[in-house]
Amino acid sequence: MRALGPGFVAATIFAAAGFLFVPGLILAAPLEPVMGFVQKIFYFHVPCATMLFLSTFACAAGSVAYLFKGSERGDWLAAAAGELGVVFGACVLVSGPLWGRKAWGVYWQWDARLTSSLLLFLILIAYLLARRYGGPGARKLAAALALFAAVDVPLVYKSVDIWRTVHPQTTVVPKLDPRMRPAFWSAFLLMTVVWGLLLALRYRLEAARAEAATLRLETEDLLEAGS
Amino acid sequence: MNTLERPGSRLAGCGVAMRRLAALTALAVTALLPALAVAQEFVKVEGKAGEDVPAGPFVAIAYGFIWIAILGYVVFVARGVGRVRGELDELRRKLDAAGKR
Repeated sequence: MRALGPGFVAATIFAAAGFLFVPGLILAAPLEPVMGFVQKIFYFHVPCATMLFLSTFACAAGSVAYLFKGSERGDWLAAAAGELGVVFGACVLVSGPLWGRKAWGVYWQWDARLTSSLLLFLILIAYLLARRYGGPGARKLAAALALFAAVDVPLVYKSVDIWRTVHPQTTVVPKLDPRMRPAFWSAFLLMTVVWGLLLALRYRLEAARAEAATLRLETEDLLEAGS
Repeated sequence: MNTLERPGSRLAGCGVAMRRLAALTALAVTALLPALAVAQEFVKVEGKAGEDVPAGPFVAIAYGFIWIAILGYVVFVARGVGRVRGELDELRRKLDAAGKR
């Protein structure tokens, strides 16, 4: 297993500094006049949702490479991104209802955005479960599931524009108050760096597992030949 | 003049009673309408009205969950890396030992 590169270390220091710096920017951003303080959830809810989409696309891209070209690296990328999708999906599905409880008066509404987001989260969980417990050939079955997850992403994103929903529309970020933008974009950058670091770390773990599996076979062969 | 109003008819008294009953019903409905209307409305409460849900705990729980989820995942992956690294070292030792034989 190779040692961590200087880029990885630099990104880790940047992320650690961001965790100290960004909450201050969020607190300093002006209050939203209708929702008040609870709107502060927005600054991490939206970046987490974007990372969920990014994870799903990365998982699907790796799965395509594995399904159609037999790429092991593609499979490692898909496994790493699939797990990250579940982590960020959980963050979205916890922070969103907490915001909704204050803004709408209820934790959950079965509207198009919330339901399609839950569906995406469940497909990603199904992807991980299929990989873990599906037995022989499960990685290909899971890769197919990842493609369905990727198809759900545009549906989640556009659902607020297509159907009537209680969720804010996709125009919120482009029309964001200029005084709220530094807090939002710094939180977004922080989340992107954290996502990249976690993906790299998890990918290395998958690569190391594959290396260990190869070494295990070699050792067994050598020991059998020697006995 | 209809059958009900014709003098001497058996139903003449009944018609008067019906007219009185209709008048009384109309009077009662007119009198009760404002009360019915009030029952269908939401009455404004003076002063602090509605449910007061503090935003602070919601924001704290949301941010707390996100930090814990990310940190928990870092710990989970780091433990996995440590375990695989240990396994790789052991396998390499075994391979070296088998190669020297």
